[in-house]
Amino acid sequence: MKEDSVTDALLREFLLGKLTDEDRERIEGLFLTDSQTRERVLALEQDLFDDYLEDGLSQGDKERFVSRYARTDEQRRKLRITGAIKDWAVREARASHQAAPTVSVWRRIWLWLRFNPRFFIPIAVTTVVAAVFAIVWLNGRIEQRKHFAIEQELAQLNSPVSLREAPPDTISVDLRPVAVRGAEKQTEINIPTESHFVELHLPWIQSERYSTYQAEVRRLRDRKSFKIPNLQAQNNGRYTIRLRLPAQLLTTGNYQINLTGVAANGTLSFSEEYSFVVTR
Amino acid sequence: MARDSAVPTENFEEILAWLNPDREVAATMYVQLRHDLAKTFTFRGCSDPEGLTDEVFDRVGKKVLEVRPTYVGDPRLYFRAVANNLIKEDLKRAKTQVSLEEPELREPTTTESDEDNAEDMEECLRSCLQKLSAENRKLIVNYYAKEKQAKIDHRSELAQQLEISVETLRVKVYRIRVSLQGCIERCLENKAQRK
Repeated sequence: MKEDSVTDALLREFLLGKLTDEDRERIEGLFLTDSQTRERVLALEQDLFDDYLEDGLSQGDKERFVSRYARTDEQRRKLRITGAIKDWAVREARASHQAAPTVSVWRRIWLWLRFNPRFFIPIAVTTVVAAVFAIVWLNGRIEQRKHFAIEQELAQLNSPVSLREAPPDTISVDLRPVAVRGAEKQTEINIPTESHFVELHLPWIQSERYSTYQAEVRRLRDRKSFKIPNLQAQNNGRYTIRLRLPAQLLTTGNYQINLTGVAANGTLSFSEEYSFVVTR
Repeated sequence: MARDSAVPTENFEEILAWLNPDREVAATMYVQLRHDLAKTFTFRGCSDPEGLTDEVFDRVGKKVLEVRPTYVGDPRLYFRAVANNLIKEDLKRAKTQVSLEEPELREPTTTESDEDNAEDMEECLRSCLQKLSAENRKLIVNYYAKEKQAKIDHRSELAQQLEISVETLRVKVYRIRVSLQGCIERCLENKAQRK
Protein backbone atom coordinates (compact mmCIF):
# COMPACT_ATOMS: atom_id res chain seq x y z
CA MET A 1 0.00 0.00 0.00
CA LYS A 2 1.51 3.33 -1.04
CA GLU A 3 1.24 6.40 1.17
CA ASP A 4 -0.85 8.25 -1.42
CA SER A 5 -3.36 5.41 -1.47
CA VAL A 6 -4.43 6.18 2.10
CA THR A 7 -7.93 7.35 1.28
CA ASP A 8 -10.53 8.65 3.69
CA ALA A 9 -12.55 5.47 3.15
CA LEU A 10 -9.55 3.33 4.10
CA LEU A 11 -8.87 5.41 7.22
CA ARG A 12 -12.51 5.06 8.23
CA GLU A 13 -12.24 1.28 7.92
CA PHE A 14 -9.06 1.48 10.00
CA LEU A 15 -10.94 3.36 12.72
CA LEU A 16 -13.62 0.68 12.76
CA GLY A 17 -11.09 -2.17 12.83
CA LYS A 18 -12.08 -3.53 9.43
CA LEU A 19 -8.69 -3.58 7.67
CA THR A 20 -6.33 -6.41 6.87
CA ASP A 21 -3.31 -6.75 9.19
CA GLU A 22 -1.00 -5.41 6.48
CA ASP A 23 -3.01 -2.23 5.82
CA ARG A 24 -3.66 -1.68 9.50
CA GLU A 25 0.02 -1.94 10.42
CA ARG A 26 0.94 0.50 7.65
CA ILE A 27 -1.58 3.08 8.87
CA GLU A 28 -0.61 2.59 12.52
CA GLY A 29 3.00 3.31 11.57
CA LEU A 30 2.02 6.44 9.66
CA PHE A 31 -0.25 7.53 12.50
CA LEU A 32 2.72 7.57 14.89
CA THR A 33 5.32 9.05 12.56
CA ASP A 34 3.54 11.25 10.01
CA SER A 35 1.82 14.32 11.43
CA GLN A 36 -0.47 14.79 8.43
CA THR A 37 -1.81 11.23 8.54
CA ARG A 38 -2.18 11.58 12.30
CA GLU A 39 -4.39 14.66 11.98
CA ARG A 40 -6.40 13.10 9.14
CA VAL A 41 -7.10 10.02 11.27
CA LEU A 42 -8.11 12.08 14.31
CA ALA A 43 -10.31 14.39 12.21
CA LEU A 44 -12.02 11.38 10.63
CA GLU A 45 -12.48 9.89 14.08
CA GLN A 46 -14.44 13.03 15.00
CA ASP A 47 -16.61 12.63 11.90
CA LEU A 48 -17.22 9.03 12.91
CA PHE A 49 -18.38 10.28 16.32
CA ASP A 50 -20.81 12.60 14.51
CA ASP A 51 -22.12 9.77 12.33
CA TYR A 52 -22.69 7.64 15.41
CA LEU A 53 -24.52 10.48 17.17
CA GLU A 54 -26.66 11.01 14.06
CA ASP A 55 -27.45 7.29 14.01
CA GLY A 56 -25.77 7.16 10.62
CA LEU A 57 -23.83 3.91 11.10
CA SER A 58 -24.91 0.42 10.06
CA GLN A 59 -25.66 -2.02 12.88
CA GLY A 60 -22.28 -3.76 12.44
CA ASP A 61 -20.34 -0.48 12.40
CA LYS A 62 -22.31 0.76 15.39
CA GLU A 63 -21.22 -2.29 17.39
CA ARG A 64 -17.62 -1.84 16.30
CA PHE A 65 -17.84 1.84 17.25
CA VAL A 66 -19.26 1.16 20.71
CA SER A 67 -16.61 -1.50 21.43
CA ARG A 68 -13.86 1.03 20.66
CA TYR A 69 -15.10 4.52 21.42
CA ALA A 70 -17.91 4.20 23.95
CA ARG A 71 -16.47 1.58 26.24
CA THR A 72 -15.11 3.44 29.25
CA ASP A 73 -16.67 6.23 31.31
CA GLU A 74 -14.01 8.61 29.98
CA GLN A 75 -14.88 7.73 26.37
CA ARG A 76 -18.58 8.16 27.03
CA ARG A 77 -17.88 11.52 28.58
CA LYS A 78 -15.97 12.58 25.46
CA LEU A 79 -18.85 11.37 23.35
CA ARG A 80 -21.28 13.48 25.40
CA ILE A 81 -19.06 16.54 24.95
CA THR A 82 -18.92 15.94 21.19
CA GLY A 83 -22.70 15.57 21.18
CA ALA A 84 -23.14 18.84 23.11
CA ILE A 85 -20.91 20.76 20.66
CA LYS A 86 -22.69 19.25 17.68
CA ASP A 87 -26.17 19.94 19.11
CA TRP A 88 -25.21 23.56 19.77
CA ALA A 89 -23.84 23.99 16.24
CA VAL A 90 -26.94 22.43 14.66
CA ARG A 91 -29.22 24.69 16.76
CA GLU A 92 -27.19 27.76 15.76
CA ALA A 93 -27.25 26.78 12.08
CA ARG A 94 -31.03 26.33 12.17
CA ALA A 95 -31.56 29.61 14.00
CA SER A 96 -29.42 31.58 11.55
CA HIS A 97 -31.18 29.89 8.63
CA GLN A 98 -34.59 30.93 10.00
CA ALA A 99 -33.39 34.46 10.72
CA ALA A 100 -32.19 34.92 7.14
CA PRO A 101 -34.38 37.32 5.13
CA THR A 102 -36.94 35.55 3.01
CA VAL A 103 -36.49 37.98 0.12
CA SER A 104 -32.92 38.31 -1.08
CA VAL A 105 -31.29 41.68 -1.82
CA TRP A 106 -31.14 40.89 -5.55
CA ARG A 107 -34.82 40.01 -5.58
CA ARG A 108 -35.66 43.33 -3.89
CA ILE A 109 -33.56 45.28 -6.40
CA TRP A 110 -35.24 43.45 -9.23
CA LEU A 111 -38.72 44.21 -7.84
CA TRP A 112 -37.81 47.85 -7.45
CA LEU A 113 -36.48 48.12 -11.00
CA ARG A 114 -39.60 46.47 -12.38
CA PHE A 115 -41.68 49.43 -11.30
CA ASN A 116 -39.40 52.02 -12.89
CA PRO A 117 -39.32 53.28 -16.48
CA ARG A 118 -37.77 50.84 -18.98
CA PHE A 119 -34.85 53.00 -20.19
CA PHE A 120 -33.53 53.23 -16.65
CA ILE A 121 -32.65 49.57 -16.47
CA PRO A 122 -29.84 49.32 -19.08
CA ILE A 123 -28.27 52.62 -17.95
CA ALA A 124 -28.30 51.62 -14.30
CA VAL A 125 -26.90 48.17 -15.03
CA THR A 126 -24.11 49.53 -17.24
CA THR A 127 -23.15 52.19 -14.70
CA VAL A 128 -23.12 49.76 -11.79
CA VAL A 129 -21.09 47.16 -13.71
CA ALA A 130 -18.55 49.76 -14.84
CA ALA A 131 -18.21 51.22 -11.35
CA VAL A 132 -17.79 47.80 -9.79
CA PHE A 133 -15.11 46.81 -12.32
CA ALA A 134 -13.23 50.06 -11.77
CA ILE A 135 -13.30 49.72 -7.98
CA VAL A 136 -12.26 46.07 -8.05
CA TRP A 137 -9.42 46.78 -10.50
CA LEU A 138 -8.12 49.76 -8.52
CA ASN A 139 -8.33 47.94 -5.19
CA GLY A 140 -6.55 44.96 -6.67
CA ARG A 141 -3.68 47.13 -7.93
CA ILE A 142 -3.31 48.96 -4.62
CA GLU A 143 -3.44 45.73 -2.63
CA GLN A 144 -0.91 44.08 -4.92
CA ARG A 145 1.56 46.94 -4.52
CA LYS A 146 1.09 47.04 -0.76
CA HIS A 147 1.60 43.29 -0.51
CA PHE A 148 4.76 43.41 -2.59
CA ALA A 149 6.17 46.25 -0.47
CA ILE A 150 5.50 44.34 2.77
CA GLU A 151 7.18 41.20 1.42
CA GLN A 152 10.22 43.24 0.42
CA GLU A 153 10.39 44.79 3.88
CA LEU A 154 10.13 41.34 5.48
CA ALA A 155 12.92 39.96 3.29
CA GLN A 156 15.12 42.91 4.24
CA LEU A 157 14.31 42.51 7.94
CA ASN A 158 15.23 38.82 7.85
CA SER A 159 18.44 39.07 5.85
CA PRO A 160 21.46 37.63 7.72
CA VAL A 161 22.92 41.15 8.11
CA SER A 162 19.73 42.55 9.70
CA LEU A 163 19.33 39.54 11.97
CA ARG A 164 22.81 40.10 13.38
CA GLU A 165 21.54 43.37 14.87
CA ALA A 166 19.34 43.11 17.93
CA PRO A 167 16.99 46.09 18.22
CA PRO A 168 16.11 46.76 21.89
CA ASP A 169 12.37 47.01 21.20
CA THR A 170 12.10 43.37 20.11
CA ILE A 171 10.25 40.60 21.89
CA SER A 172 11.36 36.99 21.32
CA VAL A 173 9.00 34.04 21.35
CA ASP A 174 9.74 30.32 21.01
CA LEU A 175 7.14 28.44 18.98
CA ARG A 176 6.72 24.71 18.71
CA PRO A 177 5.70 22.86 15.57
CA VAL A 178 2.01 21.94 15.38
CA ALA A 179 3.08 18.35 14.63
CA VAL A 180 4.52 17.89 18.10
CA ARG A 181 2.28 20.26 19.98
CA GLY A 182 -0.84 18.16 19.38
CA ALA A 183 -3.89 19.24 21.30
CA GLU A 184 -1.92 21.70 23.45
CA LYS A 185 -3.07 25.30 23.66
CA GLN A 186 -1.74 27.65 20.98
CA THR A 187 1.09 29.98 21.93
CA GLU A 188 -0.31 33.38 22.83
CA ILE A 189 1.81 36.42 22.04
CA ASN A 190 0.93 39.60 23.86
CA ILE A 191 2.67 42.44 22.08
CA PRO A 192 3.33 45.49 24.26
CA THR A 193 2.61 48.81 22.54
CA GLU A 194 6.26 49.90 22.80
CA SER A 195 7.54 46.83 20.88
CA HIS A 196 8.47 47.31 17.26
CA PHE A 197 9.52 43.79 16.33
CA VAL A 198 8.58 40.23 17.23
CA GLU A 199 11.24 37.61 16.75
CA LEU A 200 9.96 34.05 16.44
CA HIS A 201 12.24 31.09 17.05
CA LEU A 202 11.09 28.14 14.99
CA PRO A 203 12.72 24.82 15.90
CA TRP A 204 13.25 22.52 12.91
CA ILE A 205 12.73 19.00 14.26
CA GLN A 206 13.10 17.04 11.05
CA SER A 207 16.38 15.26 10.44
CA GLU A 208 16.85 16.72 6.94
CA ARG A 209 18.73 20.02 6.81
CA TYR A 210 18.57 22.61 4.03
CA SER A 211 20.73 25.46 2.87
CA THR A 212 17.82 27.90 3.16
CA TYR A 213 14.23 27.94 4.36
CA GLN A 214 11.12 29.76 3.23
CA ALA A 215 8.47 30.92 5.68
CA GLU A 216 4.90 31.72 4.77
CA VAL A 217 3.10 33.73 7.45
CA ARG A 218 -0.65 33.48 7.15
CA ARG A 219 -3.18 35.61 9.01
CA LEU A 220 -6.26 33.42 9.37
CA ARG A 221 -8.75 36.26 9.84
CA ASP A 222 -8.39 37.73 6.35
CA ARG A 223 -6.32 34.85 4.90
CA LYS A 224 -3.54 37.23 3.89
CA SER A 225 -0.16 35.59 3.58
CA PHE A 226 3.40 36.80 3.17
CA LYS A 227 6.38 34.80 1.98
CA ILE A 228 9.86 35.34 3.36
CA PRO A 229 12.58 33.46 1.42
CA ASN A 230 16.30 32.83 2.08
CA LEU A 231 16.04 32.24 5.82
CA GLN A 232 18.98 30.49 7.39
CA ALA A 233 19.06 28.16 10.37
CA GLN A 234 21.31 28.52 13.36
CA ASN A 235 22.49 25.63 15.46
CA ASN A 236 23.31 26.69 19.01
CA GLY A 237 22.44 23.37 20.55
CA ARG A 238 19.01 23.65 18.91
CA TYR A 239 18.50 23.77 15.18
CA THR A 240 16.31 26.86 14.88
CA ILE A 241 15.19 29.33 12.25
CA ARG A 242 14.72 32.93 13.38
CA LEU A 243 11.93 34.96 11.85
CA ARG A 244 11.60 38.66 12.63
CA LEU A 245 8.30 40.42 11.97
CA PRO A 246 7.26 44.06 12.43
CA ALA A 247 4.89 44.30 15.40
CA GLN A 248 2.49 46.50 13.41
CA LEU A 249 1.95 43.67 10.91
CA LEU A 250 0.74 41.37 13.67
CA THR A 251 -2.76 42.57 14.40
CA THR A 252 -4.89 40.67 16.90
CA GLY A 253 -5.89 37.18 15.76
CA ASN A 254 -4.69 33.71 14.78
CA TYR A 255 -1.63 33.11 12.64
CA GLN A 256 -0.08 30.14 10.95
CA ILE A 257 3.48 29.76 9.68
CA ASN A 258 4.56 27.17 7.15
CA LEU A 259 8.31 26.74 7.14
CA THR A 260 9.66 24.87 4.13
CA GLY A 261 13.15 23.57 3.48
CA VAL A 262 14.64 24.72 0.17
CA ALA A 263 17.13 22.30 -1.36
CA ALA A 264 20.32 23.49 -3.06
CA ASN A 265 18.66 23.15 -6.50
CA GLY A 266 15.82 25.42 -5.39
CA THR A 267 13.14 22.77 -4.97
CA LEU A 268 10.86 23.06 -1.98
CA SER A 269 10.97 20.11 0.36
CA PHE A 270 9.61 19.14 3.79
CA SER A 271 7.74 21.70 5.83
CA GLU A 272 6.79 22.34 9.42
CA GLU A 273 3.72 24.22 10.61
CA TYR A 274 3.54 26.59 13.59
CA SER A 275 0.64 28.58 14.88
CA PHE A 276 0.10 31.34 17.40
CA VAL A 277 -2.43 33.92 18.58
CA VAL A 278 -1.67 37.60 18.89
CA THR A 279 -3.30 39.60 21.64
CA ARG A 280 -2.78 43.26 22.48
CA MET B 1 -3.05 -3.84 33.61
CA ALA B 2 -0.76 -4.63 36.58
CA ARG B 3 2.78 -3.29 36.29
CA ASP B 4 5.67 -4.36 38.44
CA SER B 5 8.01 -1.34 38.51
CA ALA B 6 8.52 2.22 37.42
CA VAL B 7 11.16 3.22 34.87
CA PRO B 8 14.44 4.37 36.50
CA THR B 9 15.19 8.07 35.91
CA GLU B 10 18.30 7.25 33.91
CA ASN B 11 16.32 5.09 31.51
CA PHE B 12 13.62 7.72 31.19
CA GLU B 13 16.28 10.27 30.22
CA GLU B 14 17.58 7.77 27.68
CA ILE B 15 14.08 7.46 26.17
CA LEU B 16 13.90 11.25 25.82
CA ALA B 17 17.35 11.43 24.24
CA TRP B 18 16.35 8.65 21.83
CA LEU B 19 13.24 10.54 20.74
CA ASN B 20 15.11 13.78 20.03
CA PRO B 21 18.47 15.29 21.03
CA ASP B 22 16.74 18.55 21.98
CA ARG B 23 15.27 17.83 25.43
CA GLU B 24 12.39 20.27 25.05
CA VAL B 25 11.32 18.82 21.69
CA ALA B 26 11.81 15.31 23.09
CA ALA B 27 9.51 16.07 26.02
CA THR B 28 6.80 17.26 23.63
CA MET B 29 7.31 14.20 21.44
CA TYR B 30 7.06 12.01 24.55
CA VAL B 31 3.67 13.48 25.47
CA GLN B 32 2.51 13.16 21.86
CA LEU B 33 3.68 9.55 21.67
CA ARG B 34 1.83 8.65 24.87
CA HIS B 35 -1.35 10.14 23.45
CA ASP B 36 -0.90 8.41 20.09
CA LEU B 37 -0.16 5.02 21.61
CA ALA B 38 -3.25 5.27 23.81
CA LYS B 39 -5.21 6.13 20.66
CA THR B 40 -3.70 3.14 18.84
CA PHE B 41 -4.89 0.86 21.66
CA THR B 42 -8.33 2.47 21.39
CA PHE B 43 -8.44 1.90 17.61
CA ARG B 44 -7.69 -1.76 18.26
CA GLY B 45 -10.50 -2.04 20.80
CA CYS B 46 -8.25 -2.71 23.82
CA SER B 47 -9.87 -2.50 27.21
CA ASP B 48 -7.40 -0.23 29.05
CA PRO B 49 -5.57 2.06 26.57
CA GLU B 50 -3.96 4.23 29.27
CA GLY B 51 -2.75 1.26 31.31
CA LEU B 52 -1.35 -0.43 28.21
CA THR B 53 0.45 2.79 27.23
CA ASP B 54 2.10 2.89 30.67
CA GLU B 55 3.13 -0.72 30.16
CA VAL B 56 4.72 0.09 26.77
CA PHE B 57 6.86 2.81 28.36
CA ASP B 58 7.79 0.51 31.24
CA ARG B 59 8.91 -2.21 28.85
CA VAL B 60 10.82 0.14 26.58
CA GLY B 61 12.32 1.82 29.64
CA LYS B 62 13.75 -1.50 30.82
CA LYS B 63 15.29 -2.27 27.46
CA VAL B 64 16.23 1.16 26.12
CA LEU B 65 19.89 1.08 27.20
CA GLU B 66 20.31 -2.23 25.41
CA VAL B 67 18.21 -1.50 22.29
CA ARG B 68 19.05 2.12 21.47
CA PRO B 69 22.70 1.68 20.39
CA THR B 70 21.82 -0.85 17.68
CA TYR B 71 18.30 0.21 16.66
CA VAL B 72 18.04 1.75 13.21
CA GLY B 73 15.02 3.87 12.25
CA ASP B 74 12.35 5.99 13.88
CA PRO B 75 12.24 5.05 17.59
CA ARG B 76 8.48 5.56 17.63
CA LEU B 77 8.18 2.46 15.47
CA TYR B 78 9.97 0.47 18.15
CA PHE B 79 7.36 1.64 20.66
CA ARG B 80 4.67 0.56 18.19
CA ALA B 81 6.22 -2.90 17.93
CA VAL B 82 6.14 -3.23 21.73
CA ALA B 83 2.52 -1.99 21.69
CA ASN B 84 1.70 -4.63 19.08
CA ASN B 85 3.02 -7.38 21.33
CA LEU B 86 0.93 -6.04 24.18
CA ILE B 87 -2.18 -6.01 22.00
CA LYS B 88 -1.63 -9.67 21.16
CA GLU B 89 -1.26 -10.46 24.86
CA ASP B 90 -4.35 -8.39 25.65
CA LEU B 91 -6.40 -10.21 23.02
CA LYS B 92 -5.21 -13.59 24.26
CA ARG B 93 -6.13 -12.63 27.81
CA ALA B 94 -9.55 -11.39 26.70
CA LYS B 95 -10.22 -14.70 24.94
CA THR B 96 -9.29 -16.82 27.95
CA GLN B 97 -11.27 -14.73 30.42
CA VAL B 98 -14.93 -15.50 30.05
CA SER B 99 -16.78 -12.21 30.17
CA LEU B 100 -17.86 -12.55 33.77
CA GLU B 101 -15.95 -9.51 34.95
CA GLU B 102 -17.02 -7.14 32.23
CA PRO B 103 -20.65 -6.50 31.46
CA GLU B 104 -21.75 -6.93 27.88
CA LEU B 105 -20.98 -3.89 25.74
CA ARG B 106 -24.02 -1.76 25.36
CA GLU B 107 -24.79 1.53 23.74
CA PRO B 108 -24.37 4.51 26.04
CA THR B 109 -27.64 5.74 27.41
CA THR B 110 -28.49 8.88 29.33
CA THR B 111 -28.28 8.12 33.04
CA GLU B 112 -29.42 10.08 36.05
CA SER B 113 -25.90 11.42 36.65
CA ASP B 114 -25.68 12.51 32.99
CA GLU B 115 -28.85 14.49 33.49
CA ASP B 116 -27.31 16.03 36.61
CA ASN B 117 -24.32 17.03 34.50
CA ALA B 118 -26.34 18.41 31.62
CA GLU B 119 -26.54 21.81 33.27
CA ASP B 120 -22.78 21.91 33.92
CA MET B 121 -22.15 20.81 30.34
CA GLU B 122 -24.32 23.62 28.99
CA GLU B 123 -22.59 26.21 31.19
CA CYS B 124 -19.12 24.97 30.25
CA LEU B 125 -20.03 24.86 26.57
CA ARG B 126 -21.27 28.46 26.68
CA SER B 127 -18.20 29.72 28.52
CA CYS B 128 -15.78 27.88 26.20
CA LEU B 129 -17.59 29.05 23.07
CA GLN B 130 -16.96 32.61 24.17
CA LYS B 131 -13.24 31.92 24.05
CA LEU B 132 -13.45 30.93 20.38
CA SER B 133 -12.92 33.59 17.74
CA ALA B 134 -16.03 34.65 15.82
CA GLU B 135 -14.49 33.16 12.67
CA ASN B 136 -13.99 29.74 14.27
CA ARG B 137 -17.49 29.76 15.78
CA LYS B 138 -18.92 30.52 12.36
CA LEU B 139 -16.90 27.76 10.76
CA ILE B 140 -18.14 25.15 13.26
CA VAL B 141 -21.75 26.24 12.76
CA ASN B 142 -21.36 26.10 8.99
CA TYR B 143 -19.72 22.70 9.16
CA TYR B 144 -22.71 21.30 11.03
CA ALA B 145 -25.38 23.16 9.07
CA LYS B 146 -26.52 19.95 7.36
CA GLU B 147 -26.77 16.41 8.65
CA LYS B 148 -26.67 12.88 7.22
CA GLN B 149 -26.42 12.65 3.41
CA ALA B 150 -26.85 16.40 2.76
CA LYS B 151 -23.74 17.22 4.77
CA ILE B 152 -21.38 15.68 2.18
CA ASP B 153 -22.38 18.14 -0.56
CA HIS B 154 -22.65 20.98 1.92
CA ARG B 155 -19.12 20.46 3.26
CA SER B 156 -17.70 20.22 -0.22
CA GLU B 157 -19.39 23.55 -1.09
CA LEU B 158 -18.05 25.08 2.11
CA ALA B 159 -14.52 23.88 1.27
CA GLN B 160 -14.85 25.41 -2.20
CA GLN B 161 -15.93 28.73 -0.71
CA LEU B 162 -12.89 28.72 1.56
CA GLU B 163 -10.69 27.61 -1.34
CA ILE B 164 -9.39 24.59 0.54
CA SER B 165 -9.88 20.83 0.15
CA VAL B 166 -12.54 18.94 2.10
CA GLU B 167 -9.72 17.16 3.89
CA THR B 168 -8.15 20.45 5.01
CA LEU B 169 -11.57 21.72 6.09
CA ARG B 170 -12.09 18.59 8.19
CA VAL B 171 -8.69 19.03 9.87
CA LYS B 172 -9.36 22.73 10.45
CA VAL B 173 -12.66 21.92 12.18
CA TYR B 174 -10.98 19.10 14.08
CA ARG B 175 -8.41 21.53 15.51
CA ILE B 176 -11.11 23.92 16.66
CA ARG B 177 -13.09 21.08 18.21
CA VAL B 178 -10.05 19.72 20.04
CA SER B 179 -9.44 23.08 21.70
CA LEU B 180 -13.14 23.41 22.51
CA GLN B 181 -13.35 19.88 23.92
CA GLY B 182 -10.21 20.45 26.00
CA CYS B 183 -11.70 23.64 27.42
CA ILE B 184 -15.02 21.90 28.25
CA GLU B 185 -13.24 18.96 29.89
CA ARG B 186 -11.19 21.27 32.09
CA CYS B 187 -14.28 23.29 32.98
CA LEU B 188 -16.26 20.13 33.91
CA GLU B 189 -13.37 18.88 36.04
CA ASN B 190 -13.22 22.20 37.89
CA LYS B 191 -16.95 22.05 38.53
CA ALA B 192 -16.71 18.45 39.77
CA GLN B 193 -13.88 19.37 42.14
CA ARG B 194 -15.86 22.25 43.59
CA LYS B 195 -18.80 19.96 44.42
